[in-house]
Parts: sequence; structure tokens; C-alpha cells
Amino acid sequence: MDFALLHDAFWGLTFDGIALGAIYALISLGYTLVYGVLRLINFAHSEVFMIGTFAALVAATGLMGVKVEDDPRTGGSMILTLLVCLVAAMLASAITAILVEIVAYRRLRKRGATKLATLISAIGVSISLVEFFRIITDSLPREFPRIMDKTFLFSYAGADIRNDKVIVIIAAGIMMFALERFISKTRLGKGIRAVSMDENTSTLMGVNINRVITVTFFAGGLMAGAAAFFYILVYENTSFKVGFFLGISAFTAAVLGGIGNLKGALFGGFALGLMETWTSALFGTAWKAVISFIILVLVLLIKPTGLFGESIQQARV
Amino acid sequence: MKKNRVLAVVAAVAIATSSFVAFAPSASAACSGKLKIAYQGPLTGPEAALGINELNGVKFALKKFLDANKSANVDPVVYEVDDQGDPAVAGPIAPKVAAEECVVALVGPAYSGASKVSLPVYLSANLPIITPSATNPTLPSFGKTIFHRAVLTDDYQGPAAARLITSKVKNAKVFLVNDASDYAVGLQKTVDITLAGRVVGKDVTPTGTTDFTATIAKIKKSGANAVFYSGYFSQAAVFVKQLRDSGSKIVFASGDGTLDNQFVKLARKAAEGALLTAPAIPFETASPKLAAEMVKAGWTPGVYTTESYDAANFFLEAIKAGNTDRASINKYVSTKSSKGLSKVLKFDADGEVSGADVNGFVIKNGKIVLLGAIKA
Repeated sequence: MDFALLHDAFWGLTFDGIALGAIYALISLGYTLVYGVLRLINFAHSEVFMIGTFAALVAATGLMGVKVEDDPRTGGSMILTLLVCLVAAMLASAITAILVEIVAYRRLRKRGATKLATLISAIGVSISLVEFFRIITDSLPREFPRIMDKTFLFSYAGADIRNDKVIVIIAAGIMMFALERFISKTRLGKGIRAVSMDENTSTLMGVNINRVITVTFFAGGLMAGAAAFFYILVYENTSFKVGFFLGISAFTAAVLGGIGNLKGALFGGFALGLMETWTSALFGTAWKAVISFIILVLVLLIKPTGLFGESIQQARV
Repeated sequence: MKKNRVLAVVAAVAIATSSFVAFAPSASAACSGKLKIAYQGPLTGPEAALGINELNGVKFALKKFLDANKSANVDPVVYEVDDQGDPAVAGPIAPKVAAEECVVALVGPAYSGASKVSLPVYLSANLPIITPSATNPTLPSFGKTIFHRAVLTDDYQGPAAARLITSKVKNAKVFLVNDASDYAVGLQKTVDITLAGRVVGKDVTPTGTTDFTATIAKIKKSGANAVFYSGYFSQAAVFVKQLRDSGSKIVFASGDGTLDNQFVKLARKAAEGALLTAPAIPFETASPKLAAEMVKAGWTPGVYTTESYDAANFFLEAIKAGNTDRASINKYVSTKSSKGLSKVLKFDADGEVSGADVNGFVIKNGKIVLLGAIKA
């Protein structure tokens, strides 16, 4: 165990862990929203994320004409390119999420299919999307051009604070805040909470279930798309399998915080990001998954519904 | 009860004979149609990139051969065997390949694990193979007479990589990182032994790691002036990019898993100056002209394309010399030699290539530049 390293590089590791956690948190919101409403794990959500990364890539290279060998952009052109990529990723992911719902879940739900049938349908969609992207990308990872120069803004207690990660943390915070406002204040958001509390009663009260479900998938997709853009901004590459590991981490984060609970997903995301970074330093990177999952199991042993408990309506942040 | 038992025995005998009958002709029966060249490696799944590199080399060799020998009795389509690089998948497929009478030669298997389960089957069917990339040193004992390998094993590459680092970096203090794959762990071990006292730290970043923050913090703290990454190109690119973005300028070195144009493409400026080793040689380096022609034909060369191209050509030369069955083709490749793009293929009694080198490379101005053979 390398306590000296954890001690010396603590703030640097913490800063990076928060940036990573922000990405986890954004993805895990999608798992948690859908679970809250449908009591269903949307296994295709990792591919919703994956498609967002490719959309950002296409937006940058196709729409904005950025070439991988170009120097990073500056000023207005840089901000515009970043925004276009962000919007493209969010829209592509959101639309994918809605399509997944229509194709893989809606009919099954109408016909009263079992939870297991829906689960298999979700896994099926996930695998077909992964394989589809594997084929069209020739199994090769794709590089994302550097749109914004990566510079150190300042140093704090030995931690080099880099601009792209600062943007990720701040922007993710804004997204999460907006989503929370949407769920707690708007009519549609109230519909989501109502359905998650009691589907039958909500229907009797005139809530349009299908619309609520579509909106839920849309909102989850938007968050995954934002995560996709932030991921590709920091790590600058994607591939057909990018959703797999991040999806598992985000799902874990959602369960850690209490699946179905927005606050839980946020907390779980940041907690997992930090835990992974700290344990990597302390025990070696190979041990990161072992330690993280041991902590998850311990948390669930003590609090089986996750740290913040299940279901959306309790999440009054 | 008794009747049932008799039936069971009869059934068992019937199954045993039928499988024997079905299997037996594969070794001896002649092919009535066109001769087929097979390729075995991962063509789908997460390891598919490497298999596709190799398959492209075989396809290109076959196309060139048929363009030059229009009347040759060789099927223009490569017989593709997708084992996903996985021994569990390769196991059930190998007997089917062996039973295809017209498959007279096989390039592959690409991976050592899949080779271990496939080779005994091909041995019993006398199907000659040349692997372009399975580098586990124990393979000859599985394939015996039908086994040939167009590259040096990991026993050579690791020490060569260590020598390359110490020759390029003054007072080398090396940090070792591997991706926990069989290949990476094995390669790192031999690097570690040769570097001996020069290793200042180690970390393992399993396949799928995207964030190297902690590893980089360790490297910085260790005072290393070089890092050797044992693993494959896609993750190596992510790693070296994060290393450079963290402000570190230490030498980055890696093995044949990283020797791929994709690495340069993905890591871009961060790849500059990277030192790489491989028992292989990139197609573009071996022959820029043929590489351009290959791209034009619609196939992208990658790592081990050259070795696959050479292996396929050796088999095709055997066919051109009038050998039309497995036994005679095996005899031809086991005893004759072939001037390939990468090296002269001449196999010793174990099927190992002799007189080959481990090459050193450096990435310069976005290109993989051959430094030459790394001398002992």
C-alpha cells in the first residue's frame, strides 16, 4: 500500500476523481431515471452513451470541419465547435434512448411481458448496437481531434488543475441542477415522479404514461449524451466498446447511491470516481475494481437499497 | 433394461464409428474442387482488429498470386475461420476446418491460447499451418510437424526491448506498466529480467482502463525517466496521451502490441518519440509500394499484415511448385525457404523461423520509422 503516494498526490487525484465521477454521475442518471419509472434496468443505456461519443465525433469532423491534424481552435470558433459537439451528442443519445424504448420496450410492456423478457430485449438491443458499430468502424477505435488546447489553469497543493476537467465538472454540475429543477418543478417532471410512485393511480389521474416514459428516456439520453461529450473531450477517443466499462461503472454508481434515486446517482457517481482514483493510487490500478466492488458490497450489506434508498420521489435535493 | 443397455452400446459404437468415418477422410481424401487457403484468428469480437489486419494480408497475397497466375487451381476467396482469439471458440471449430478437404493450408491461428487447442487437431489431419503472430514459446510441442511460426517468440522481444531502452536513455530508470493480458504479463517479465536493477516501479492497468491518473502520479513520484508499456495499441494511445497531457516528457517505450499505425493515429503528437519493438515489421515500412497498392485494393494494413502476407505467399509458392495436397505442401514449407517482405522464411526442426531479428522503431513526424535490428 502506497500511503505516501496518496498523501503526496492527494489533491491531484481528488480533482481527477471528481472529473471522472461527474461523467459517471451523468450516465448513472439515465439508469436511475428509467428504473424509477419502469422498475427496469435499461441495459442499452451504455450504448446510448456510446452513440453520443460518435455523434460528437461526427459533429466535430463532419459538421464543423475539424481535422485530427489541426491545431486546437481558439476563441469563438472553439466555443462554437464545443457547443455544437455537445448538442449533437446530447440529441443523438436522447433520440437513441427514445428509439430503444419504442423498439425494445414499449410493445413488450403493452403486451404485459415479464420483466425477464424485457431484460433480454434490452441486452439484445445493446449487443446489436455494439456489433453494428463494431462493423461500421472496422473494430478500430476512433480519435477525437483536439478542439481545445489542454492547459494547466493553476496549481493547488501539488494538484495541476487542467482546463478541460474544470469545464467537465462545472458543466456537469449545471446539467444536474437543470435536471433536478426539471423533475421537481415542471409538469412533466411531476408526471415522472407520479408514475414512479404509483403507475396505476397516475393513469387514473390522467397522466399519459407513454409520454412520461418517453420523456424519461429522453432526459436520461440527454445526460448520457452530455457525459459522452465530456468523456471524448477529456480522453479524446472512442470505440464500439466504450460503453461497456463506463456503463458498468455508472450502473454501479446508481446502485451504490440507491437506484431510482437522483441524488443517489449523483452521489454514487462522484463517490465511485473518487474511490477508483484513490484506491488506484493506494493499491495499484489493477486493484481498483476489487476495492470499489468490495465497498459496494459492504454498503449494500448495511443498506440494501443503496445509500439514499430507492425511488425518485424521495429525491428532493 | 437389458435391451436398453444393448441399444446404448450399439448407439455408442455407431456414434464412435460415424465420427471416425466423418473425420478420417479429411486426412487423406483429395479435394475435387479448387484448393483453399484458410486464415484463423479473431474476426469478430473485441480482438478483431488484429485478425482483420492479418486476414487482409492473406487476402492481398492471394489476389496478387491469382492476378499473376490466372490458371491456378486456387479458390480466390480466403477460407475464414473466426476463433475470436478465444480457445473456447477455437475448440469446436478446428475439427470442422480439418474436415474441409479443399483447405490445404492455414495461416494462423493468430493467438497462442487458440493455437494450443487447434494445433493438435490440425496435426492429426496433417494440415500445415504458419502462424504470423502467436508468440508463446511452447507452441511447437502442440503442433509438432505441421507447426511453423513466421515470427520470433516473446523470449526474444522482451530482452531486445530492454536493450533498446538502455541504449537510448542515459541512466535509464524504467517504470513498467502492463494491461494484465497474457501477452503483456509475459512480455513485461522478460523486460523486467533484462533491465534488472533499472526498474523503479510497476503498475497494472487492466484492459478497459480509461483513466490513468493514479498510474501517472506513481510514475512521477518514482523519478523514472522511461516507461515501458506492455499491452495493445488502443489503450497505449490513451495512456501516452494522458502521460503527455500531465506534463511528463519521459521516454515512452512499448512492444509489438503497440506497433500499429492506429497507435500513431490515436495518440497523435503524444506518440512522437515513442520507442517500439517487434519481431514484426509494418507493411508500409517493408514495402511502401505494395502498401499503397493494398490500400487501393480496399484493405488496410496493420500490425502483422506483413507476416501474414509472407505466410500466405509461402503456401502459394508451394502450390505453384505443383503441390496440391496437405502432406506435400507441409513438406515444401518445412524444407524449402521463401523470400518474404519481412524476412526469408526458413523453418528449423521445431518450425521456428531462423535468422530473424527483433526490430526497433521510433515514431517520428507521425510515422513509424524503422531503427533496424536490435543487436544483442
